[in-house]
Amino acid sequence: MYNFRTLLAGELQRMLKYHILTASVLVAFFWIGALHLLETGDISYFFSLIVFFDVVSMSIVMVGVTIFFEKQEGVLQSIFVSPISKDEFIFAKTTGNLLQNLITILIVYFYTLLFQNININLAGLLGAILLIGLFHSLVGFLIIYYCRDFTELLVNMAAYFLIFTIPIILEFMGVLGTLATNLLYLLPTKASAVLMEGVIGQAQTRELMLSVFYLIIGSLILGYFVRRKFKIFAARESGV
Amino acid sequence: MFTIKNLTYRYPTNKTDTLNGLNFKIQPGEILGLLGPSGVGKSTTQNILIKLLDDYRGEITYRDRPLNDYGSEYYQEIGVGFERPVHFGKLTADENLKFFKKLYTTTADTDQLLKRLGLYQDRHKKVGEYSRGMKVRLNFVRALLNKPEMLFLDEPTAGLDPKNSRIIKDMIQEFKDRGGTILLTTHLMNDVEELCDRVAFMVEGRIVEINTPKNLKLAHGQRKLQVEYSNQDSTSLKEFGLENLGQNQEFLELINNKKIITMHTQEMTMDNIFIEVTGVKDHV
Repeated sequence: MYNFRTLLAGELQRMLKYHILTASVLVAFFWIGALHLLETGDISYFFSLIVFFDVVSMSIVMVGVTIFFEKQEGVLQSIFVSPISKDEFIFAKTTGNLLQNLITILIVYFYTLLFQNININLAGLLGAILLIGLFHSLVGFLIIYYCRDFTELLVNMAAYFLIFTIPIILEFMGVLGTLATNLLYLLPTKASAVLMEGVIGQAQTRELMLSVFYLIIGSLILGYFVRRKFKIFAARESGV
Repeated sequence: MFTIKNLTYRYPTNKTDTLNGLNFKIQPGEILGLLGPSGVGKSTTQNILIKLLDDYRGEITYRDRPLNDYGSEYYQEIGVGFERPVHFGKLTADENLKFFKKLYTTTADTDQLLKRLGLYQDRHKKVGEYSRGMKVRLNFVRALLNKPEMLFLDEPTAGLDPKNSRIIKDMIQEFKDRGGTILLTTHLMNDVEELCDRVAFMVEGRIVEINTPKNLKLAHGQRKLQVEYSNQDSTSLKEFGLENLGQNQEFLELINNKKIITMHTQEMTMDNIFIEVTGVKDHV
């Protein structure tokens, strides 16, 4: 991990230069605006929903889009012939992504602390962001590995959101039956939603432990495939 | 530097091998040109040698150790010059180079390189605002920034004006003079002739000919001298064999008694050797 710090510093520098951080802050203000319009006492539940949607979607989008633009600028070729390991590359990009997630959510969190009534477990929130962000950043890697162009990237990301997020919304609306609700536990988005419920103290301990276990094991499995397919991806993107 | 024995490679999605048993060596301190039409396996060969593809068959050794034994430390020793731009467009040239320099244990004086290539005054400009030629020159700086001992260059002078092309060729020559080794891929036969110690021609995943440019020209050309001279009101051409030319009375009489206009030996051009060796025909 000799070059991890350099790679991470590079990720953060590019977040600034490519205005990704600016976009994150704008998104944070969008969420603040949405929360501000809510006329409810305790906004903990809505805050947890925002964290869920933001971290799930932005983790995938940011990894996919940053790698896509690096690919388009040809810079991946230059990175792949540098003395770095694939683990350093994957780890630096994922960490950069998690930091970006944390910045967005912490801005919203500090707003709620100052101006709203919120009751959440901060350590739990940070842990949930890390786990949900890690899992979905790795999903972002796998999606970009198999995309040839930007349209395909957008379609695949949209497909993930539709397939894995809509059932969670349907459950929230009370549309799903018992069987379907139980089947939701197979989805990473359900595990992520349970984690967020845990942050606001609305999840059972057993359910919470299972979700943490799901996301850790899921991240390990995804990490295995992200590492394994990395070489093929690197070779494909490096036509010397 | 490199010994490549019976190198065979097939892409996972292909039904046939892209490389079919390549055998060649890259000697330390030489510039080896890898030539051939598009799609014959030059890029695949380079991708394997720069360790982007590793599931090949055959044997490759670098400094007498199997290439597969090297990890990411291998990239401390090599430099790769790409044909396409390979920098962050929204970062300045200086920021790009600083980022990449931090990844290496040994680094070159990039300010000096930028000055030599006429990019120093534009080092704080975003690379996205660079012209194509400036990006090509910056790629060359990137390839040299870790003081490599082995360089892989892909069309290093493509798209450059003659002045900048000259500077890069001089720098390549200087790199070689300091003991550096280069694998050069280009379609510019002037560069090949000027820079390469040896040239390998690839056809259908094989090396069909490898030799010095001079030997290639001799082997594929005719050992003849063509003399163009004034013959009263017109010009005439006559060809002489080079063997014992000094004793050829007809030749001696011609150069003593006629006004010579031009005199050319008939070795082949590298362009024609490329076409002849690789079998490239006109597109129908």
